[in-house]
Amino acid sequence: MAVYNSFFRWNVTNPTPTFSWFSNYAEVFHAPLFWLVLRNNLIYSFTTIPISMAFALFLAILINQKMGPIRSFYRGSLFYPTMIPMVAAAMLWVWIFNPGLGIFNYYLGFLGFPKIEWLYDMRYALLAIIIMSIWKNFGYYMLIFLAGLQSIPNDYYEAASIEGASAWNQFRYITFPMLAPATLFVFVVAIISSFQVFDQVFIMTQGGPGDRTNVLVFYIYQHAFRFWDLGMGSTLTTLFIIGLLFAIWLVFRVIGKRVYYEV
Amino acid sequence: MYLGKGGEFTLPTLFLSERIMAEVVLKNLSKRFGDVVAVNSVDLSIEDKEFMVLVGPSGCGKSTVLRLVAGLENPTEGEIYIGEKLVNEVLPKDRDIAMVFQNYALYPHMSAYENMGFGLKLKKIDKKEIERRVNEAAEILGIKPLLKRKPKELSGGERQRVAVGRAIVRKPVVFLFDEPLSNLDAKLRVQMRFEIRKLHEQVKTTIIYVTHDQIEAMTMGDRIVVMKDGLIQQVGKPLELYKRPQNVFVGGFIGSPSMNFLEGEIIEENFKSFFVKGKFKIPLPDRLTRGLEKVTHKRWTLGVRPEDILLKNHQEGENFDARIDVVEPVGAETLLNVSADSNYLVVKISETHEFKPGQSVHLSFNQEHLHLFDENGERVG
Repeated sequence: MAVYNSFFRWNVTNPTPTFSWFSNYAEVFHAPLFWLVLRNNLIYSFTTIPISMAFALFLAILINQKMGPIRSFYRGSLFYPTMIPMVAAAMLWVWIFNPGLGIFNYYLGFLGFPKIEWLYDMRYALLAIIIMSIWKNFGYYMLIFLAGLQSIPNDYYEAASIEGASAWNQFRYITFPMLAPATLFVFVVAIISSFQVFDQVFIMTQGGPGDRTNVLVFYIYQHAFRFWDLGMGSTLTTLFIIGLLFAIWLVFRVIGKRVYYEV
Repeated sequence: MYLGKGGEFTLPTLFLSERIMAEVVLKNLSKRFGDVVAVNSVDLSIEDKEFMVLVGPSGCGKSTVLRLVAGLENPTEGEIYIGEKLVNEVLPKDRDIAMVFQNYALYPHMSAYENMGFGLKLKKIDKKEIERRVNEAAEILGIKPLLKRKPKELSGGERQRVAVGRAIVRKPVVFLFDEPLSNLDAKLRVQMRFEIRKLHEQVKTTIIYVTHDQIEAMTMGDRIVVMKDGLIQQVGKPLELYKRPQNVFVGGFIGSPSMNFLEGEIIEENFKSFFVKGKFKIPLPDRLTRGLEKVTHKRWTLGVRPEDILLKNHQEGENFDARIDVVEPVGAETLLNVSADSNYLVVKISETHEFKPGQSVHLSFNQEHLHLFDENGERVG
């Protein structure tokens, strides 16, 4: 449907859809804003994905250690951000980032940082969204890593310790390769969710200031439901889906073959 | 493909170099997990080049002893010596041991070759040397064509060989085997039993081998340690254990089918001792009762192996009436479950005599091989 509609000029000034070949597509690629939005989204993806994955893996290994009943407390509190709805979390973070009252500036103040207008400063708004999203997403990845870690039989580590593998070597030669299926899964999920980022932008910044936090889905939303340019919205959606499928295909192509399944 | 097949076998250089004496001595060794005592004051001395088997039912502490020797567990009390060196505080990797795990613990993402060379690679040993050692071990184990395969592509027996290969390339002074054959099917188990035994003949290294299978223990060990509830029950050569079990547990555990036990009393008549249980009144040879004081008014257990019960079709000498309940032919021999009032016994006969359930027979006991245990289950005589 979206693909079909993307070939029509269909907006407030043209309420009757008229077939217009690839004119929508040409317009997309000629709009400077599109490139800014794409850039924003790529920055967002390339920061949130590695940081939240590394963070999740690190914490998963940490709470997988033997530490008695306190473990479930940690596990619960680290998973907590994942359980609350994104909209509620975003509202929460609007307050956390509040320049005058927010705890973020409050704590940064202790470290000697000046007060930052997180969500209203063109330089920092995207960073604020990134920080919030990492906080929100890593718990889910951590849970998958944790499940992966727990499925690695202890024998492997015992055999390795007899053979003289240090903690780092055990991670490198056993944990990491045996966690590869979980890592691949997390990676794909993280890519998809990083391109689907919307709620927190909608609640916290509405894409502003100066479109510095405008990301792909929000851009589509603006075209389709703010400007009522349904032809353009369809075009962007089509491009979005194609781009995402390509990215995932590339991931499986490059990494998928090196992942060793089965224990 | 199989180890040593064909007979002519040149001892590989792998095992000729710098052999260190490696007796393993455990002194007053204990391990507790919370309230559970897994190993209870074990004293054991395993000689250099000895094939020592630890056997017992599950939960008896045999695997824990092995893991203590490997350094995978820390003892609660006691000392462990490998080659005269106290190793309590020595890391597993520095104990000069190699371990073969029950489920092999082969890394699934590495080929057989990489698995075998992994420890050497970590030790930063020269690639050429690794290649030489792995190939040599593969040659011995007959797995050379399989080196490129991943564990998934190997059968159970082949994985077992790779796991053994991984152990031998490291030239350890002690090999530890933790129930290595229990995941194999019966036929392969018999074959691997032979092969590991043969390997020991070649590498002449101290081996500590844990199993729950008493047949494995009997056929493989130079000596056997029987354990139960964290305690050593008896240490000895296989036939010693079979012929002179120290207590009821060892008597019942070693040997298949197991020893028959009768609980009863000893009475004396005309200066002769008899073991009495129901209708049974079994004369006891002097060797069992000699030196026993106050044999009466106590509970005794008489142990008799299935092959030491003789069956007769007709009344002859000292014997007892019994009835055959079940007949189990196992090929060369036949097992009979017989009952005489409240006594149930298993009898092993080697004749191909046709016995039928319900048939009446006469039993007598081989005086030479009766075992007598006191009320604590300890051997007497």
